[in-house]
Amino acid sequence: MKRVGFSLALVLVAAGGPARASTSKSESKADETPRAARKSKAAAPKPAAAAVPAERIEALRLAVIGADDTAAMGAAASLGAAATPAAVEPLCEVLAAGATPARLQAVLDALGKLGEAHALRADQTTVDALVLYSGHRAPDVRMRAIKALGAVDDPRATATLLERLGDAAPDVRAAAAEALAARHEGKAAKRIFALLARGDTGVAGPLATLATPEMIPRIAELSGTIDDAVVADALGDYVKRSDVPDKLRIDVLRTIGKLSGAVATTALVDYIASVPAKDDRASKKEAQKLLDERGTTP
Amino acid sequence: MTRGRSGSARTVAAALALGGALGGLACATSPYQRAGNADDVAGAVARAHEPAPTGRSVAYLVLAGAAGPRLAAYDLTAARLLWTRPAEVTTRVVAGAKVIVHGDKGTTPNGELVARDAATGAPLWRHPFPSSEHLYGYAIDGDAVYVVTRVEKTPSKQAGALGAYDLGTGAPRWQAALPSARVAGPAARGGLVAVPLESQYVLLFDGATGAEVAQILSTEEAATFVRALPEGLFYGSRGIFLVGRDTARGSRHAPGYLSAQLPPFVRPTYDYDHYHPEQSEYSALDRNRVLWRVSAAAGKPQFRDGLAFVHDYRFFFAFDASSAALRWAYVSPDDAVGSDDTGRAILFATSSGELGALDPITGARTYQATLPGEVVRGVTFDAEGFAPPPGAGASTPPDLLGALTAIIADPDQRFPAMKLFAIEELGRQPGREVTAKLIAILQNDKAAPLAVQKAGEMLVARRDAGALDLLTAALRAHADYGEKRGAPPVEVLARAVGALGPLARSVAPELDVHLRLPETTPSAAAEIAKALVAIDATESVPALRDFLTMYRADPVYERDPTALVAAAEALLKLGGTADRQLLLFLAEEAHTAAGLRAHLSRALGETATAAAR
Repeated sequence: MKRVGFSLALVLVAAGGPARASTSKSESKADETPRAARKSKAAAPKPAAAAVPAERIEALRLAVIGADDTAAMGAAASLGAAATPAAVEPLCEVLAAGATPARLQAVLDALGKLGEAHALRADQTTVDALVLYSGHRAPDVRMRAIKALGAVDDPRATATLLERLGDAAPDVRAAAAEALAARHEGKAAKRIFALLARGDTGVAGPLATLATPEMIPRIAELSGTIDDAVVADALGDYVKRSDVPDKLRIDVLRTIGKLSGAVATTALVDYIASVPAKDDRASKKEAQKLLDERGTTP
Repeated sequence: MTRGRSGSARTVAAALALGGALGGLACATSPYQRAGNADDVAGAVARAHEPAPTGRSVAYLVLAGAAGPRLAAYDLTAARLLWTRPAEVTTRVVAGAKVIVHGDKGTTPNGELVARDAATGAPLWRHPFPSSEHLYGYAIDGDAVYVVTRVEKTPSKQAGALGAYDLGTGAPRWQAALPSARVAGPAARGGLVAVPLESQYVLLFDGATGAEVAQILSTEEAATFVRALPEGLFYGSRGIFLVGRDTARGSRHAPGYLSAQLPPFVRPTYDYDHYHPEQSEYSALDRNRVLWRVSAAAGKPQFRDGLAFVHDYRFFFAFDASSAALRWAYVSPDDAVGSDDTGRAILFATSSGELGALDPITGARTYQATLPGEVVRGVTFDAEGFAPPPGAGASTPPDLLGALTAIIADPDQRFPAMKLFAIEELGRQPGREVTAKLIAILQNDKAAPLAVQKAGEMLVARRDAGALDLLTAALRAHADYGEKRGAPPVEVLARAVGALGPLARSVAPELDVHLRLPETTPSAAAEIAKALVAIDATESVPALRDFLTMYRADPVYERDPTALVAAAEALLKLGGTADRQLLLFLAEEAHTAAGLRAHLSRALGETATAAAR
């Protein structure tokens, strides 16, 4: 993956601070992409930028890049809570200049929060920084970078998330899988299934989100080769999807009913609970029946 | 027939005379007064006659398995079993013209010596050893068998003895008391019998009379074996002495001394230790030894064709005896339980019943026969000069690369030193194929750490610019948990790239990627940084910046800033003014690892003038 802009921005930071100008330029370029524009109009709620004065952002910037680690982490949290795109740049400055792992984690958490608030845009600097830190040697740092990156609508982000599905750390793989599932990246399903087949607990939910109907029998067949609880988790989440035909749900619920352990029971209970009380669909009855049978079966 | 010390009478008298002349009575009592006398040894050798070959091509096989312990004779030329006899063979078979002799469990405490008709295997006679008599070895010459024993006269008094027996009947001919109880198994050739004593002497006896005719004194290395070959009588341990005038005192500087140059994995065993009777049994010693023959001209021996052969269980090697250069290697599917250099072939038998012959010059298999269903425990070949008949399982000479690769890839864990040798040899061979194999060893997660290390050293040392694409491809692989793929050996690959210098600049992007991957170790990162400098990869400056900033305040690098320092050095050499500014920032920023800060302060100061220009 090519990364050409990030280091240059860093040099500028080190030289005295025109990074902001550089970043703004990249940002404007990113904003010109139709996909980013579409997302900002259609999906993003109105950022609370107006609520945070520029002076406050500047004060937090000085603190987050300052010498005091404790103050920096506090400032990072405040910037994350600001829910404004203006808070992104100071945080990226920290990533550009490098910092202690604790400060990096605080900054990446803040960027993650900004992502949740749809304040994280696909500008060059942000993407470069998050992609870079998703390759950091410390899993805690990588996981946070991946979570933040998941909120960035950019093809490079997708490529990195797919790459991190092969990470050595289960938490990082789970974070990447969740991010890809949230983005409905269908091409990730095959790799995520391979992880589930190795017993990767953290990818059960994401796989349920991305699985195609053809994949369900293969998930069911994993019973006995990996922990049944992982299979029950994946299938339990799958049946809750609104796009699954009720007939297929019944089949899946029956498969869950055959699985051993409390997780399978919980999956049935959860499914019943997820269906509105007024909805009298056949699969709900089937789940109840299976649940009753589990209660009577020794 | 016991002759006591009659054979030594002349020696003792001479010793006394010499002792008197020197005025030293203590010396006069030594039985080794003539030890190292070159005239005696030369005279004895001159009186010996050329031995007649048996003319047979037979393998005597010690068999085990469901049919019980047996001894069999296999005719190599006719490719058929001549005979099989029940036998509990202990010590090795020695073959004479019409009779063979071997040790057998027997019924007495120390077993027995058994003579058999070579044509039928029928027992001819047995010589049992009581508990007071220990067999040390035996040798056949002509129509006699010579036996060395140690006799316990009392628990505290032991004596060595050399006895001669009629080979056909077992009747005693003579017996000579040896001057020490520290005896070893004999060798006999052309009417001369050689017996090592006390590790440093070899006494020579007249085979016909038992008279002691000469004493060899090995001054520089122990004489642990004696061996009779058509080309002469030999003794030695770490090397080989051809018995003759110039080796009467056993100096390594003598023209009659030989020692092959062999790689470190080889145990330089030219023969088993004849002082240890247990070593005369069929054992692992038969599977791990040096095979050698010599051509002697004017008393100066040389390894035949300049080669020494090594049998190491399943593997056979031919080495240039003067340089240790590998000529060929042969890999047998099963352990070869025994082998022999019979002059025109290296013969061997495997535990699963394969009999084979290798061409000494090329290593090509020239003969193959099998004994289906048999378990072979040991073998003795009586096949001097055996020339395999055409087409008897002959194959093309072994491909050296293939053989070395097979050794390296062999799952058998018994041969770590040999595998290292094979990797080293592989690395010395030319061609892209070799580079690919070395990379494959590095990528094999089942390879032993030492093997990986050796493969890495060879890869770096060979500087194969023609295989740059292979290095690039190897670096393109990344660790992936989902695909059960480990990280490539980045550290070694980076060193190999760096060793190529600017020729390898095209690999820079692949190295950059690894600088940004989580699995890249600090030591690998350091090697990458050095390699980037070596290949003059100015385009890698952004990756170096990323690495430095990302980890400058990381506790791992606080403890050992080597990789950071390497990256900073690389940035200083490859980067421009802006990069110096970044490094200055890092040098001054309080959270930067102390080691890096100190290094940068010094390095920036040292290069300040040059940068200002």
